[in-house]
Amino acid sequence: MAEKETLIPEIVDSVETLEAKMKAMREAQKVFATFTQEQVDKIFYEAAMAANKQRIPLAKMAVEETKRGIVEDKIIKNHYAAEYIYNAYKSTKTCGVIEEDPAYGIKKVADPIGLVAAVIPTTNPTSTAIFKTLICLKTRNAIIISPHPSAKACTIEAAKVVLEAAVKAGAPEGIIGWIDVPSLELTNMVMKSADIILATGGPGMVKAAYSSGKPALGVGAGNTPVIIDDTADVKNAVNSIIHSKTFDNGMICASEQSVTVLDSVYEEVKKEFAYRGCYFLKPGEELDKVRKTIIINGALNSKIPGKSAYEIAQLAGVEVPESTKILIGEVESVDISEEFAHEKLSPVLGMYRAKTFDEALEKAAQLVADGGYGHTASLYVHPSQTEKIAKHAAAMKTCRILVNTPSSHGGIGDLYNFKLAPSLTLGCGSWGGNSVSENVGVKHLINVKTVAERRENMLWFRVPEKVYFKKGCMPVALDELGTIMHKKKAFIVTDSFLYKNGYVKPIEAKLDEMGIQHTCFYEVAPDPTLQCARLGTDQMRAFEPDTIIALGGGSAMDAAKIMWVMYEHPEANFEDMAMDFMDIRKRVYTFPEMGQKAYFVAIPTSSGTGSEVTPFAIITDADTGVKWPLADYQLLPNMAIVDVDNMMSQPKGLTSASGIDVMTHAIEAYVSIMASDYTNGLALQAVKTVFDYLPSAYENGANDPIAREKMANASCLAGMAFANAFLGLNHSMAHKLGAFHHLPHGVANAVLLTEVIRYNAVEVPTKMGTFSQYQYPQALKRYAELGRYAGCQGNTDEEVLESFIAKLEDLKEKIGIKKSIQEYGIDEEYFLDTLDDMVEQAFNDQCTGANPRYPLMKEMKEIYLKCYYGK
Amino acid sequence: MNLEKKELIVKRAYKEVYKCEDHIIKVFNETHPKSDVLNEALNTARVEETGLDIPAVQEVAQIDGKWALVIEYKKGKTLEEMMTSDEANLEKYMEQFVDLQLEMHAQKAPLLNKLKDKLTRQINSLKELDATARYELLTRLESMPKHNKVCHGDFNPSNVIIGEDGKATIVDWAHATQGNASADAAMTYLLFALKDQKKADLYINLFCKKSDTARQYINQWLPIVAAAQLTKNNELEKDFLMKWINVFDYQ
Repeated sequence: MAEKETLIPEIVDSVETLEAKMKAMREAQKVFATFTQEQVDKIFYEAAMAANKQRIPLAKMAVEETKRGIVEDKIIKNHYAAEYIYNAYKSTKTCGVIEEDPAYGIKKVADPIGLVAAVIPTTNPTSTAIFKTLICLKTRNAIIISPHPSAKACTIEAAKVVLEAAVKAGAPEGIIGWIDVPSLELTNMVMKSADIILATGGPGMVKAAYSSGKPALGVGAGNTPVIIDDTADVKNAVNSIIHSKTFDNGMICASEQSVTVLDSVYEEVKKEFAYRGCYFLKPGEELDKVRKTIIINGALNSKIPGKSAYEIAQLAGVEVPESTKILIGEVESVDISEEFAHEKLSPVLGMYRAKTFDEALEKAAQLVADGGYGHTASLYVHPSQTEKIAKHAAAMKTCRILVNTPSSHGGIGDLYNFKLAPSLTLGCGSWGGNSVSENVGVKHLINVKTVAERRENMLWFRVPEKVYFKKGCMPVALDELGTIMHKKKAFIVTDSFLYKNGYVKPIEAKLDEMGIQHTCFYEVAPDPTLQCARLGTDQMRAFEPDTIIALGGGSAMDAAKIMWVMYEHPEANFEDMAMDFMDIRKRVYTFPEMGQKAYFVAIPTSSGTGSEVTPFAIITDADTGVKWPLADYQLLPNMAIVDVDNMMSQPKGLTSASGIDVMTHAIEAYVSIMASDYTNGLALQAVKTVFDYLPSAYENGANDPIAREKMANASCLAGMAFANAFLGLNHSMAHKLGAFHHLPHGVANAVLLTEVIRYNAVEVPTKMGTFSQYQYPQALKRYAELGRYAGCQGNTDEEVLESFIAKLEDLKEKIGIKKSIQEYGIDEEYFLDTLDDMVEQAFNDQCTGANPRYPLMKEMKEIYLKCYYGK
Repeated sequence: MNLEKKELIVKRAYKEVYKCEDHIIKVFNETHPKSDVLNEALNTARVEETGLDIPAVQEVAQIDGKWALVIEYKKGKTLEEMMTSDEANLEKYMEQFVDLQLEMHAQKAPLLNKLKDKLTRQINSLKELDATARYELLTRLESMPKHNKVCHGDFNPSNVIIGEDGKATIVDWAHATQGNASADAAMTYLLFALKDQKKADLYINLFCKKSDTARQYINQWLPIVAAAQLTKNNELEKDFLMKWINVFDYQ
């Protein structure tokens, strides 16, 4: 039994023998699959050489057996199949790693497909067999051939030649196989059992291939229409067509079937055809006789394909010279009912007359629809007529569009254009019901595995090019505008409180001293509106500044940034600019480039938002109530001046709220999934500074200038940290709490702060944030790091965390933050009514993405509730 | 049953048909396969069940050692007779003929034999075709869509009886199958074309128009039905059929 199982049949003529043959071939292919590129290339070389040597006997055999075609042309086809295919793929990598980029961690690995089923037609039997076996050898596949019964001997002989050479060069025995006695049953069986089908055949065979359930590379019928434009080189056009149409008596499927000639050159074309030995069938009886001979009931008479023009004329009972090259029928209809509109696979050509190029295009499109969808179309035109060439290409539903090229030779590639891949299997795309639309080659016979290793994103640290700080530094810093940058016109944006209280004066004095013209827009209100920004922009446009100086808290700086955008890019759309993004580098909208008209200087007067060093701005449309949060590094100020002299008289409430905002910025930046070594130092320092100096700044105000200055620095440090590491859930939830219930931003942050920390600092979060650098949940460790740096004690991270939270609660108490949302007078019923909306909007906030724990909405709801009631 | 008193209305090589008051008797000769006779009875019964108004099988009997079918008699003239005697109205008759065929195609009889199987068998049995031609035909058949419409298999005007009330009835369901209606139409076209190309063209144009079928699609069946017709071994038809069969599917 065992012996019988391993017996490989010598003749495949039945279901049983075919089964055994394919089983053996699969075994051989398994071995072949382990071959190296070097081994494969040697086999490919020897096999191509052997096929090449046998091109003449194989061509003779093919003509003898099929009684179709011309030996000399079949020699060229065999030669082409061996030489051009070898040449095209000799250096192509088809085994193992074929592409690698270590920097990006990407690798492409080629695997063979396995057992390829090949259906081979009678029109090009030996050349197609050589082509298909060679590309299978190059790709380490086994190939089983189902020859056409009328060409089986020559097809098998060609396969044998390739097989013997391949085995001699080291390929496994039996890597190429064939059905010796073809039948539809066995062909179907081969197609159903193989891993992929290289189906070259009639529509019936291609349909069978596609219905086999296996992936198929099938090709279909062509009905190549040619257009000869009145700008074409007629001699070249006519002789190219003759050359192509007579090649192997017209049996290449890309060969010309009809020619549509523009009126003005029609006679010239006709004369040239006749001069070069083509016969124009006389209208009436001659034309009709040929019509009825070539097509029977809409199908091609099987006596026609591959026969000479003379033989076909004889068959039709029309007398023509024996040397006639092509029978040409001048016809009018492009409808399928016209016999000359069909594919003829023989030196018979239909000829049409067109008044205009557009009419010719229409005719060609109909001829393609008649029976050549997806195959090939051809145009002869002067190369300078680029518009016509483009129009033709757009109108043809074919996968090959050849210009000034004999289509038989042109379609198979590498003969008249050296970038069109050489192939004897021409994909016809979805139009032809095919899975490929290009010339089939080795790439279609491998499975490419992509090995992608984990890589980290490139990160960045982007801050204003100039950050000036220290008490009293403002006039010194502003000096640059005049002495170095030679600015002429400065536009100051601030709020009315600061303006009325003389904060703008020192700036104006400095500008006057330098001879810089200036004006001031001081109508910015808290939660600045788009309408206000528009007003400012109008004034800006009238004034045409080369410098914008924003003086104030977050509102004035944000409003100034928005005016800056509208001043530089009046065309930019806020809705587009405000579109949420997952990754700022992959956002759909490209932010316009800033700084072409004006240099932007930001001077904070409170220690909180850090807007002087961040790429963010929020603006509210007063008409609709919609808030547009903008984020892009284009919005970074060019210069930030942190001078505590501008901040001395902040009221207590502002000191408290903006101080705890700084703390939240620093903490969230530190635990963000985008936190980096570059931002961590800034965040750590900011946290410690706020702990150390906020209570005194709150208590003593201007009386403790050191504490004020430290808080100003902490604000800016935290700003630079979150400008690059972004924020988290605390801010998402605070944004919506503020929006729904009109709590000051800092206070909203403060009431949520420790609850969000507890939520984030778990070792087993429901879900983790997605970012290449963020490998595992680590918020607990990071909070503990912050705690330790701020002086919290504990033996474990958990203990430090508790101490850190206690320290934060202590700080909050010291600066007058209440224990719960409720204590701020927010109505319970209203809070509960709006809770779900608030949760959903907070979830969707741009800040949520960087949070170390990816939140579920029900979890956020719970946090809100806890904070509302103070637990 | 005594046949001597009955009127012999049809005589073929393998059968004789007698007419009685309200039924006809088809008597098959001894060499005719029993299974064919039973199959015809079964086919007819199955088509009856579709609701089409056709002559019902009344009895399967043996008469003098020969198998016979007793079938309901439909009074009237064949459409073929009427087309010949009243040529002026040919077009009208042809319309009626096509309408009747389409009404039949609208029926389903899931237990009838499959047309594709029958055609495959017929093509494989054709020894006068070489292996290549059979391979081509089978490939062509394989690629055709498989449907399940009631097909008569020999639908021609001689198998349509027009009753005195003008109602048309289809008779002789020996070749009935279920399958692609266009194949059935292709067969009808071929049967016309063998006798009269003009009638054939009239028929096919009407059929394509009424059934909204593309002519090319019916054309694709012609080599196949020509091969099926070739199995009937009519020497006179052979050249004609071979011409239809020998076409080249693009490769």
